[in-house]
Order: sequence, then C-alpha cells, then structure tokens
Amino acid sequence: MKIHNIAYTCLTQFCEKDLGEKPILQWIHKDLSETSFTYSDFETESNKIANVLESLEINNEDIVTIFLPRSPLLISSYFGILKRQAISCILFSSLGEDALLDRLSNSQSKILITKNSLVRKILAIKEDLPDLKAILVVDIDEHKDHFVLSLNKLMGEVESIHKYPHQLDPETPAFLQYTSGSTGKPKGALHVHGAIQDIIQSFKEIIQLAHDDTYWCTADPAWITGLSYGIIAPLSTTAASIQFGGNYNADHWLKILKDKNVTVWYTAPTALRMLMQEDEKKFDVVRSNSLKRIYSVGEPLNPEIYHWGKKTFGTEVYDNWWQSETGSIMIANHPGLAVKPGSMGKPRSGIDAFIMDDDMKPRPVGLQGHLTLHRGWRSMFRTYYHKEDAYAEKFHDSIYITGDLAYQDEDGYFWYVSRSDDVINTAGHLVGPFEVESALLEIDEIGDAAVIGVDDPLLHKKIIAFVVLPNDVIWDRTLELKCRIYISNKVSTVATPSEIIVTDKIPKNQSGKILRRVLRAVYEGEDPGDISTME
Amino acid sequence: MGITEKLTEVFREVFDDETINLHEKMTADNVDAWDSLSHVNLMIAIELAFDIEFKQNEIQSFANVGELEKCINEKLIIKE
Repeated sequence: MKIHNIAYTCLTQFCEKDLGEKPILQWIHKDLSETSFTYSDFETESNKIANVLESLEINNEDIVTIFLPRSPLLISSYFGILKRQAISCILFSSLGEDALLDRLSNSQSKILITKNSLVRKILAIKEDLPDLKAILVVDIDEHKDHFVLSLNKLMGEVESIHKYPHQLDPETPAFLQYTSGSTGKPKGALHVHGAIQDIIQSFKEIIQLAHDDTYWCTADPAWITGLSYGIIAPLSTTAASIQFGGNYNADHWLKILKDKNVTVWYTAPTALRMLMQEDEKKFDVVRSNSLKRIYSVGEPLNPEIYHWGKKTFGTEVYDNWWQSETGSIMIANHPGLAVKPGSMGKPRSGIDAFIMDDDMKPRPVGLQGHLTLHRGWRSMFRTYYHKEDAYAEKFHDSIYITGDLAYQDEDGYFWYVSRSDDVINTAGHLVGPFEVESALLEIDEIGDAAVIGVDDPLLHKKIIAFVVLPNDVIWDRTLELKCRIYISNKVSTVATPSEIIVTDKIPKNQSGKILRRVLRAVYEGEDPGDISTME
Repeated sequence: MGITEKLTEVFREVFDDETINLHEKMTADNVDAWDSLSHVNLMIAIELAFDIEFKQNEIQSFANVGELEKCINEKLIIKE
C-alpha cells in the first residue's frame, strides 16, 4: 500500500483542491508585526527549493540539514527537501560547533541551509565534513564562493513548479531527529513518511481542534513537537495556526494569546514555570479571553504548575508524553478523560504501554519500572541513523524501552518518575552528560570533568558540572566564565551548567565509568550508598 | 577604550562572533545565541570586564544594548 508524501498531504493536495489561497498560518515576527501565509505560498517556495536541490543533484535519501531559527523559510525548506524524497534534518540554531560536527558528520549531510550569521560555525568545522557539498544561505543575495551559495539567487533561477511523485512507500525515510544519549554522541532518530498517519490521528484524538479554533504551538521545529504538531499536524488538517518567530518573552506571549484570540495552546512546563514568576496582574488580559485549553509536553507537569495554569488561565491544562523516537503523542491527558494532576494520562488509541522490571517482565500496578511500548505504531523511529547497534539496544523482542521510569495506577493512568539513564532533561531539552564533559575536557585548565542533572524548580533538571584542576591552575570567576562560554558556544546554550564545582577527584568505578549517583549524593548532601566499586 | 568598544569585545567573546557590532536599539532578537541562558554568561563577562556588579533585579531589566550601556556608565561613575 502506498501513501502520500508528507509534502503532498500538508501542501500540494490543498492547492489541487483550490484551497491554495486559504490563509493557513499567521506568522508573528520578532517585532510583533505579522505576515499571513497560504498553502500556495509554502507550495511555491518549497517547489523552488526542491528545484534548487535537484540542480545540486540532491536525490532520494540524501540528507539535507536545516540550521535556521524558526522562520517561514524553514517550513518551505522542510517541504522542499521532502519533495525531492531527500531526508530533512532540522537542527537548533543555538547549537555550537562541536554539537554541529557530531550531527553533521553522523548524518553525512550533503547540503546545509542556514543564515549568514551562522555560516562561520559551519566553516569552522568544514574540513571534517567531507560529504558537505554546499551551504545555502537564506539572507545573502550573491554567492560568496563555490561552497557558500545564495539561496535567494538560486531560487530566482529555477521554476516555481516542481513535479514529484505524490505517492510513495510508507517506509520511505522523511526526517531525522537528533536526540542525546547518556553515553556517546547524539543519535539521529530516523522517521518515515508513514509517520504522518499517526501524527494526524493523535492530533485529532488529543488536541481535538474545532474548525473555528486558533491554535498556537510554541515549540521550535528543531524539537519534534514543533515539527509534528507545529507544522505537519495543523497544515495537514487545515487548522488555522499561528507561529511566533521570537524567543520566550512573557509580555509578547501574553499579548499574542490575547490579540490573536488563541483558543488551543500547546507549550511546555518550563514556559509555564517561567510565566509563573511574572506579576499576577499581567495575566488579567488573558484570564477572560478565548483560550479553551492548554497542552504541555517536554517534562513532567507537576501539580503545582497544573493548578497555577488552571487558575491563571481559567482553563484545563493537559500534560502529554512522547519522545523524538516515538514521532507522535503516546500517552496523554485530553478532553473526555478526567485529569489526575501530575499524571501523564493514558495511552492514546492503538498504543500499548507497559511498566516492566529489569528483566522485561510486567510490574504490578503501583510499582515503578521501565516505561515500555509495544513496537509497531506508524510514527515509530526506524533506526538511529548509522547507529544500528544503539537502535537494537532500545528493544527487547517487540518491546521498545523508552529510557523513562514510571508507574501505572489502578485506574490505568501513567505517572512519570525519572529517566532510567543519565540523560538530563533541562527545560525540555535532552542533554547528554558526555557532550558537556567532552567540551570541558577540551579546555586546557580542566583536568577531569563529570556532569549530572539535579532537580530544579524552574528547569526540571539543572546541569551541575564537577571539574578537577591540575595543581598549577587556580579557579576563579574568569576561568568559570571561560568554561561557561566554551560549553555555550561549542555545545549549546541549554547545555551550560548552572553550577561548576571544583573537586579533588571524579568518582569512577574500576573500569573508569563515572559514578554519577555518588556525585548527585554529594551535591544533595546525602549518603552516596555503596561505593565498593569505586576505584 | 570607550564603553561601546569594550562592550563590543565582550559580546564578541561571549557569543563567539567577530561580526557583532553593537548599536543602542540592539536586543537579544538581533544576536543568534543570545537567550536567557547565555545572558547569564554575558552579565558575568561584563562584570569582570568593567569590574562592576549588577544587582539581581538589574540582570533581566535591560530592554536593549542602549539601556545596558547606560547602566554600565552609571556604575562606572559611582565607582570613580
């Protein structure tokens, strides 16, 4: 059985049905000015980008990376890539050189689309990227050389029509979504065009938009929520949505909620926690407005935030749970299901979730274990790109092991407990401690380093780094700043530690593995427990 | 070296971008990596470069670079 290309389902089909001129997305720029976009706008722009990629000999299953802040051209680029049946990979524009190198070298990306101010980051690592054929820059009018090209100029030289096969095998690769692991480099979860069936089904079942709703998903498209439910789901279901091109800003966000009469809002617990710190009077403008419900994803929505959100906005707040690997919402609260504050909710239709022990045997109700899913849903990742072994480790027979710990109550609701590995969920971003440690060890003054995540009321988890200094190095604010800036620019701003603590020695076992639980205990002033394996 | 020149050096170091040229109306929206997390780095770097200290309530209060420069200038005058 064949299905439609995601680009056809989201754009082309509506242009064929004479809905091309329907305003479908209201783009709110950083300065709060607005531009309205129709299906035809995205169809035409993505056609040109597909033609540019064709002229650059980009073919089926080549990787094309988008390294842009959220923007309308990011959306057009994504669909242009899919029309070529190439594989799209959207990366956060905040990534530093080391993080970029890890992702671009793993994906063997052929083309990278970015903006002029970010080009320097790519040029700094260009020698280590032999597969990269060209950088397409969205905001220059002339090519810089044979490698750094003006996308505008190239788009001006091609047709605005692009013929592509609308139907394809559902297993055709569509996009890569990078996620951090507790050990080693980040992994690219590969998704297929068939994923759109689950994205649409879950959008209808959980988000439940009516024809007159105005929907706002605040997630960056580099985060899978922003791609699946910020772009694919609303476009493919003709849902009127808005997007904001700026970063978090409480005043801007509240103004948008009010002025745009947002009715359904999909955001993250960290954003709600940041809003919670604002003066209560600011919320008067949105308390009586059109907002009907809020959805939240990325970290657990603790009851305190749930109750604050419900009181402040006067509407229900629905938490849901899923991952880059799952491609669509797996467990959720939604209208029609009584909310238990703090709970993840229940699996959506077609999803089988179980709590298992370490031997992958079912755990009794109420007892904590590994949150697992029965494999086979359509938006499930198909591999970790070029890391088949890591993919195989995520499965036990037909069971996908999510890496999260949870329990199920007597009513069938799931409750998140923590990660089962060392990955740090900070402000909704997964940060691998290995990435931060590697960056720290690149600094001459750092002899050894270890990174942990500890509870934080704002970020869910905050990053704490422990460093060992050689004898002749003195720790001061200048060195601390050097470490912070280095991590921020080499890995990502979200990976910057909240605290850096100097210690004499990093606790490791006899095979050299960092004993993070000992560091966590030391940080929290608790008993580190059994340290018999410590070297 | 004037405040703007010195502040430009700080921005370029913090955001690892030699192309940054400051102007009064510049905000976080104009610098790619300037978010709430890197803002902490920026504040520490300014404190060290100018040998001043920001109060907690000042750290998130600057609407643009012009206001930041003004605050630095006031602190330097008090120090003298």
